Amino acid sequence: MRRLAAIAAMSLIATATACGVGSSAGSGVYTTVDGAKQIDATAPINPFNPQGNTFLGYDAMTLAWPKNDPVDRNRFYPGLAASWSATPDQGEVVIHLQPDAKWSDGKPVTSEDVRTSIGLAYTQGGTAYAVDPKAAGSAADVRVVDAKTLKVTQGASKSNLFLRNVLSTVVVPAHVFGKLLPPGFWTTLKTARGTGPEAEKAKAQVTGLAQKVISFAPAEDVSAGPFVLERVNPGEALLVRNKHFFASRNIAPERVKVLNYTGNQQIWNYLIAGTLDSAPFTATPSGVLNRIRQTDGNEVVKGFSPVAVSLAFNQTRKPYDNVHVRRALAYLINRAQVTKVASPEAGTPAQTTTGIHAASAKSWLGGDGMAGLDPYRVDPAKAAKELEAAGMTKKDGRWLKPDGTPWRVEIHVPASFSDWVAAAKAITSQLNDYGVDAAVLTAADYTLYLDELAAGNYDIGFWLMALGPSPYNIYQRIYGSANGWQLLAGRLTRVPPGTQGNWMGGPETVGGVNPGALTNRLNVAGPDEQRRIVGTLAKLTNEQLPVIQLYDYVNTQFVSTTRYTGWPRTDSDVLRLPAGVWMQLGMIKKAGR
Amino acid sequence: MTVTQAPQVLPAPVSPRRNFWRGVARVLRRKPSRMAGVAIVGLFAFLGVAGPLLYPNPLPRDDNALYAAPSWAHPFGTDFEGTDVLALVVTGTRYVLLAGLATAVITVALGTTIGLLAGFHRGRWDTVLMRLTDLQLTIPGLPLLLVLSTVWKFTSPIEMGVVLGVLGWGGIARAVRSQTLSLRERGFIEAARGLGLPTRHIIGRELLPSMAPYIAMNMLIAVTGAIYAQVGLFFLGVLPFDANNWGVMLNLAVFGGGALTSAAALPYLLAPLLAILLLTLGIVLVVDAMDEIFNPRLREE
Repeated sequence: MRRLAAIAAMSLIATATACGVGSSAGSGVYTTVDGAKQIDATAPINPFNPQGNTFLGYDAMTLAWPKNDPVDRNRFYPGLAASWSATPDQGEVVIHLQPDAKWSDGKPVTSEDVRTSIGLAYTQGGTAYAVDPKAAGSAADVRVVDAKTLKVTQGASKSNLFLRNVLSTVVVPAHVFGKLLPPGFWTTLKTARGTGPEAEKAKAQVTGLAQKVISFAPAEDVSAGPFVLERVNPGEALLVRNKHFFASRNIAPERVKVLNYTGNQQIWNYLIAGTLDSAPFTATPSGVLNRIRQTDGNEVVKGFSPVAVSLAFNQTRKPYDNVHVRRALAYLINRAQVTKVASPEAGTPAQTTTGIHAASAKSWLGGDGMAGLDPYRVDPAKAAKELEAAGMTKKDGRWLKPDGTPWRVEIHVPASFSDWVAAAKAITSQLNDYGVDAAVLTAADYTLYLDELAAGNYDIGFWLMALGPSPYNIYQRIYGSANGWQLLAGRLTRVPPGTQGNWMGGPETVGGVNPGALTNRLNVAGPDEQRRIVGTLAKLTNEQLPVIQLYDYVNTQFVSTTRYTGWPRTDSDVLRLPAGVWMQLGMIKKAGR
Repeated sequence: MTVTQAPQVLPAPVSPRRNFWRGVARVLRRKPSRMAGVAIVGLFAFLGVAGPLLYPNPLPRDDNALYAAPSWAHPFGTDFEGTDVLALVVTGTRYVLLAGLATAVITVALGTTIGLLAGFHRGRWDTVLMRLTDLQLTIPGLPLLLVLSTVWKFTSPIEMGVVLGVLGWGGIARAVRSQTLSLRERGFIEAARGLGLPTRHIIGRELLPSMAPYIAMNMLIAVTGAIYAQVGLFFLGVLPFDANNWGVMLNLAVFGGGALTSAAALPYLLAPLLAILLLTLGIVLVVDAMDEIFNPRLREE
């Protein structure tokens, strides 16, 4: 009898477990991972802390969510702001908050919350909230018009990124975070935006608050998003529905579980086990991708990702200061083969080197603009001519430098980026086939890699580029601080090659064109002028090849239709936003309803 | 009657060296596994010397066979570039063996010299050398290597071996010192000292030969340790990229090919793993044979 009871109990447990695993949508749980960070259970519930236990789109809210548009950076979905307006030069931005927005403790979200959040953002510096009055695109004044309306004015040094940066402000509750701003903070900030010793002192006071803000640990989460953090442990964070969320009717899941991971392998295994309802972009080899697809309900959604990878040259080092050598290498690299080896699922071979992702390039340059560029198709004969023009000679099947010494191409990559390592290896194999002695050298980690790159210790290294959609951000990767153009106090200066992080070391002007100045101009130019500048820079980049564009990334995401439906389609403009935003927009529904 | 005395036929003198090799052959024959061990080590030694000559340089690639499954043409499939994995393992043997041997030689040379000097001289020598040994033993090898790898690229296997050797002699030094302390009290050492023989003679001719078997076995074990250490470092991705390095292959199979998640890159992972396993097994079996060859008590049994 006792045995029977035990068997019955075991059966009950087994049934309950089976139900628990198979019907998490029934219990309203949505499981995902945070692509931006791993979970640190000891970190505070604070969005200003890089490791903070707040999750954008779920319990951390911005004023609006940028659409994934290849060209227009000023298209948004509403967040805590229901609507907004900006003057043509973006000198003044007026924000109207959601009328029903409330914090999870029931208090309304007001303009004062946004103002406090902006004040806290000033302590961290950057984007629209730099203390320096001359910094381009910095807010000069924040004025509360009424409880739900706010006006933010841009300083004298204007940037057309201002609206985007203001709308990206993460809003925190003033009744929780407000005490971090000392009395008289706004007066101090005003002083800091002036000049002279008083201003310097005030500046130090404002930025001196940074650490206090980062380390602030509220006792509990107070969220204006669709969820609020209930608990966090080293394995996962659990968020529960915020019943006060202004668009609560759009939210299908009752709870969200954000799982921790230590590497891509763990995310792959979660996906193969069918654990995740969605996962952000994760580098995945073809074999693993096929295995993930075999799991019932799993689907792959692909979209535009404004990122490309390139081979960047240190032009302070010979022979890479010679454009003929750079062009020769471009003619020897088979980009399609490199992409096939390195990133077949999440990359498309670059059509040519423009500095821009192919999807954006079509819009910026048009068919005519693209036709005027050299596609750098594989052509060993042209490469040989270029190398000879650079004074190189071939002996016993190997190319030698003009002084007769052996030429060895060393390509540096961080060891942890497996697609870059594979791409670099594929390139060296191709170059060796054509008589160029080439080798891959790895750096232990990405931080060390960037340090060594900035110190000018590498001849050639892999470099992320085309970080759009803003054209300024795109070309700033090639003609920005890495190439010697520094924007300090609103003034563009050029530092000598090989110093102060100028590791690319390109010439200041080419044929009378100053690419750094043109790039900086993109910050303030209108649409027509931007198009002209982008055309000029694309042509210059194609001719001079400070980098060789290898492949453009494709945003490859994973969703499961087992428990939820309504996922974004391929090339949807929400694909780069967190799944919490998809929920806010009412896209995600429980399966079978 | 004349008695003709038949000439006495003496057995042909057998040199100790010949006796030794006969003993070796007998010990090896006693257990087939030992023969297998010698064969495995011999095979890897051959691959180390002639492996790169067996394949064209650079190794052929096939864009249409990336991560190809095992076949007659590619017994362990192909890698991310469509290169035969077996060819990578074979051509990569030289680096692994050279680094392993360099490590073993340095480990044993340093460890034995320091252990012998400390144990024989005792007193201040012993104190200084053993504190030095303790210091070496307390240095965490792997973290130090990780830091060193940021400034030193270890492009040659000898460089790798030197660093691993310099970081690994402490254990042998301590063991050799213990043996020396025991041996120096024996009669033959007492006699040698009584005869006034120089220290160099006593250490080199009396003590060292008695410990040679022990040192030789330690040397082989040091080779396996060095293989694990260097392959581990390459696997962590902190050392230079070389497509046919076994550790790099493991790294790329796991992190680039997802070998622990999907079957596509599994042969790419298994090939270097099997090579490491086989080489270690071969060395362990040879050490087993050496133990019996040099240990009279085991030989009698």
